[in-house]
Amino acid sequence: MADARNKSRAHWEDPLGIFPWALSKLYTLWLRATYPFASMGRSVSIHYTFVVNRAMAHRIKLGNSVVIGKDVWLNIIPEATDEVNIVIDDGCRIGARSWISAKNQIHLERDVYLGPSVLIVDHGHAYEDPNVPIKKQPPMPGGRIRIERGCRIGQGAAIVCSGSQLVLGRNSVVGPNAVVLRSAPSYSVIEGNPGRVVERLAPSPPNPPSPSCLTGAMGPSSKSVEAPTPAAVSTESS
Amino acid sequence: MALPPNQLSPMEDPLRLLPRTLTKLYSLWVSLTYPFASLGRKVSVHQTCDWQRSRAYRIKLGTSVQIRKDAIIHVTAPPEQKGEPIIVVDDDTMIGPRCLVSAKNCVHIERDVIIGQSVLMMDHGYTHEDGKPPIGEQGGTEGGRIRIGQGSWIGQGAAFVCTRGELVLGRNCVVAANAVVTRSFPAYSVLFGNPAQVIKHFDPVRNAWVLGCAQTAETALPR
Repeated sequence: MADARNKSRAHWEDPLGIFPWALSKLYTLWLRATYPFASMGRSVSIHYTFVVNRAMAHRIKLGNSVVIGKDVWLNIIPEATDEVNIVIDDGCRIGARSWISAKNQIHLERDVYLGPSVLIVDHGHAYEDPNVPIKKQPPMPGGRIRIERGCRIGQGAAIVCSGSQLVLGRNSVVGPNAVVLRSAPSYSVIEGNPGRVVERLAPSPPNPPSPSCLTGAMGPSSKSVEAPTPAAVSTESS
Repeated sequence: MALPPNQLSPMEDPLRLLPRTLTKLYSLWVSLTYPFASLGRKVSVHQTCDWQRSRAYRIKLGTSVQIRKDAIIHVTAPPEQKGEPIIVVDDDTMIGPRCLVSAKNCVHIERDVIIGQSVLMMDHGYTHEDGKPPIGEQGGTEGGRIRIGQGSWIGQGAAFVCTRGELVLGRNCVVAANAVVTRSFPAYSVLFGNPAQVIKHFDPVRNAWVLGCAQTAETALPR
């Protein structure tokens, strides 16, 4: 996904690009001036098709250098708890067509990248009453979602928390179209429907090794693969 | 999940008036100039809906149906073919943004259904028996029929694909996000996964939702 600087240069490559760029700039200014966000950082770049309810803007925090793509919807339902329900920390990128819908709290820590069409929702529709259409039933209590810093969420992934808490550990990767229902530790790779941890990556060393290390005894492999977490989908209950 | 902000008062943000007005004007235009098989009142169709007026006579929309942004409503039958409506959407159903409904025989979405974004409903497929030409040039299969039961909730990214026979989803079903449904399921089921499987169902004997799928047809509630 192009960063903010590339987007600002893009319109010079094709002069037609100046129109959506200018519209997005103006819309971001309009949001900053007229929407009572809990806080809105510097250098925020929001596409002009962004949808958020102004009456709920005071429950949303946007950090510095957040980039929000086309047709993104940040939703806070009327039955939400009384707190800041959506927190997006510095440097996050929300991909086009993503939906983030909160009842309790969804917290994206810094430098989280969401791909296109990602769904993050911390509650669901109740469906217990078989005599009432589901759309007329109230929302479930739901849980809280925290996606720790540096995670990468692939296109089309769905992160759904119907229980108490869902934490994706730092620098985790969620594969495209994965459905994540439960927490995962740091440096996980989660794939599939239902989502399972298929790999765990060790963190990179802070400095690259010097050439003399390459001929000597190598340390443990930089990649370690752990067995997937026990299959718990069959016992998953909302 | 609450309905999106364009359903709330336009006084909330004056900029919101522009897309809302466009949607209202387009809905009016469509109701006056498209020859639907039948069209209910208060139908709201986003102006970016991708469909063809020449096929509108095979589409039936009930009262208060909403078709959201960038939806594709596609009837694959040729325009000169007469017959029953191929796409039927009953009252109070909402088709989410970027959904693709592609119908050759019948896609019937019953009333009070919520359909999330980017849902696929396709009652046919592409023939791919011949190894030589590209699959896109080999024509479509005979296809089947899809029916989504009333009161259901279809999660984002779900796919309903029926290349033959009938795919019937019972009433008040929950289809989890990104599920791929390729066969019928009884009413009051929670479907999850690819391929979709029942992970919960309503047991009328115990009057509660229980894990797993119903054991016998007798324990299932009537559609």
